[in-house]
Amino acid sequence: MRGDRTDVVEDLNRLMAEEAEACLRYFQMRFRLRGKGRVAAEKFFEGALKETLEHADAIAKQIRLLGHIPTLNIHLSLSGGPMRPEEALAEALEVEQQALDAYQEFLPRLTDHSALEDFIRKQIAVETEHVQEILDVVRAAAPLKLVPKPTP
Amino acid sequence: MDTWKEFEANELTHSAAHHLLAIYEVGLAYGGWARVSDIARQLNITRGSVSINLRALKKRAWVETDDHHLVKLTPKGLKAARPVMAKRVILTAFLSDVLGVSDSQAEIDSCKIEHLISHSTGQRLAQFLRFLTSGDAVARDLVGRFRRFHGDCPKSRTCDMCKGHCLMDELKRAI
Repeated sequence: MRGDRTDVVEDLNRLMAEEAEACLRYFQMRFRLRGKGRVAAEKFFEGALKETLEHADAIAKQIRLLGHIPTLNIHLSLSGGPMRPEEALAEALEVEQQALDAYQEFLPRLTDHSALEDFIRKQIAVETEHVQEILDVVRAAAPLKLVPKPTP
Repeated sequence: MDTWKEFEANELTHSAAHHLLAIYEVGLAYGGWARVSDIARQLNITRGSVSINLRALKKRAWVETDDHHLVKLTPKGLKAARPVMAKRVILTAFLSDVLGVSDSQAEIDSCKIEHLISHSTGQRLAQFLRFLTSGDAVARDLVGRFRRFHGDCPKSRTCDMCKGHCLMDELKRAI
């Protein structure tokens, strides 16, 4: 593997934190939703929180495969103010885009570690699809599709 | 006394101040531009959090972003960040050089206080530091005497400072 294995594990821990934090955001966001489209958005975030938790879990397993124990570093404080579905989606888009960027920046460091590289490529594919879906909804103000996501 | 509420009413929140300073520090080597990933590392939080927090800073026109998701302080953001940076330096110097607090603790404490004290208090503190380090014989003597001062509290646990309730005891108990 190119680079130090500890650095790779640190990056995986960061990726896991992105996913776990997104999960908590979506968990709480469901209860803040108000206005038109609330029910569909709630369902969307229910799916998204399950998916992000699965992603965090998958990354944790990759860390374990490398012989390390996952460490989770999250500093999160979420206000309880009401949110319109479009505001919540815009926020989710920011979070998903950052996760996607993080996976993409991590990928070039894994050229000598094919299993992990494959895993990250799959994550990128899923995240790309997810970002695009939210982007479509935000741009078009279209109704939310509730398509279940495949787990990598 | 509603002073405590000013903590919440502060235009520059603790989080905002730290984000502005992190953007400034990370961007120093890159013409002011900072990557979200580097800001996240600097603040030891996730990129997602940084990205969400940047939305509030953008709304206040304190930061701008480009097509590559790079972030930079606007002149308005720089104007908000500079006094905070100045107060951090002043407070760190005061805590460490005058009070003798360890460098690491001085860094931590100044980081907590920097954006909460007023600019005028920061100025007076800077003036006080200038006086203490001016080479003035009285100032030199004062600093020297303070460093040698290990005055124990009186057995009665009362003095002019504490007025019947030993403040040093309170702090000792908390450590």
